[in-house]
Amino acid sequence: MHEVVYDVFARKARGDSLCHIGYVDALDDETARVYAWRTYDEENWFEMCVVRRTAIIPVNRDDGPFARARKGVGR
Amino acid sequence: MTAAPIQASELDQAPRDALRRLVLTLADSKRLMGIRYSDWLLGAPSIETGIAASAMTQDEWGHARLLYSMLKEFGVDPGAVEHERATSEYASVDALDRELPDWAALVAAMFIVDGALTVALDSFARGRYESARSRVPKMISEEEFHGSLAEAWYRRLAASSEEARGLLRNATMEMLPSTLAWLGAADAPARSLVEAGIMEAGPVLLETFTQRVGPLLAEAGVDVGSVAPSEEWDADRGRGPGHPDEESAARARGDANRQLLVD
Repeated sequence: MHEVVYDVFARKARGDSLCHIGYVDALDDETARVYAWRTYDEENWFEMCVVRRTAIIPVNRDDGPFARARKGVGR
Repeated sequence: MTAAPIQASELDQAPRDALRRLVLTLADSKRLMGIRYSDWLLGAPSIETGIAASAMTQDEWGHARLLYSMLKEFGVDPGAVEHERATSEYASVDALDRELPDWAALVAAMFIVDGALTVALDSFARGRYESARSRVPKMISEEEFHGSLAEAWYRRLAASSEEARGLLRNATMEMLPSTLAWLGAADAPARSLVEAGIMEAGPVLLETFTQRVGPLLAEAGVDVGSVAPSEEWDADRGRGPGHPDEESAARARGDANRQLLVD
């Protein structure tokens, strides 16, 4: 099964900053939603969302995990 | 189904007995579903899937506990039902009687059996029974995640290797007949629940179920419309004539930790 990395972002309350809280490996968008909600359930999150790591566009570095994911290597 | 809510004590004997049977089969099925999920906490294909299985185990056992507590309305001690019953008295759906042999079988159970339970619960929540109206909607909202995961995995395995697809198809064909018989039950107790406005009729539930699962089952090469429901039926328990294996029932009762049980 080919899985891809999704980064997980959440905010605790309305108006809080959206924070990066971790990542999950998932088959697709739907399983990423479920895995994220079930894995990072230590808080009663106001909002949570997931983003395919390859969809994140690096701005100032080309040696981090997001840049490597865009290039199709590593996480 | 509409009309004013009703309590168990207001029902005549026949629908009251039928309602008790329904609550018990739902509660036992939830407990056994939780056990089947728990079997995969450490053997799931990924850590994330294992965590999801753990969460679903907790959901199912929470749902079972809520359903067992409804039995108090029938003068039944839920503690005795949960911890002291003989294996042959369990009323859980047939497909959960034994450990599921592989991941494909768990995915099939997640999609077909847990899905059928949710169809039944959805109807139960919209019926006249007051306790179902107040307690079951939260269960259904928690089940949305189970449904999402089940659909994603079922679709993925159906489009996977021929071996995975074969395992999925075999598990599906094993589970469908007894699940269709359970959901579509039209015996006297089931009919009395329909007449009392507590549940929709079996054919209505089957239609809802078929619409939900049919397209995805077709991707695994299964035509749900061509599968005949099982004919063997135990009307006392509202399921087929078998029962869970001894190990499963012991886990459901909590036999290993009986000395730790606190009233």
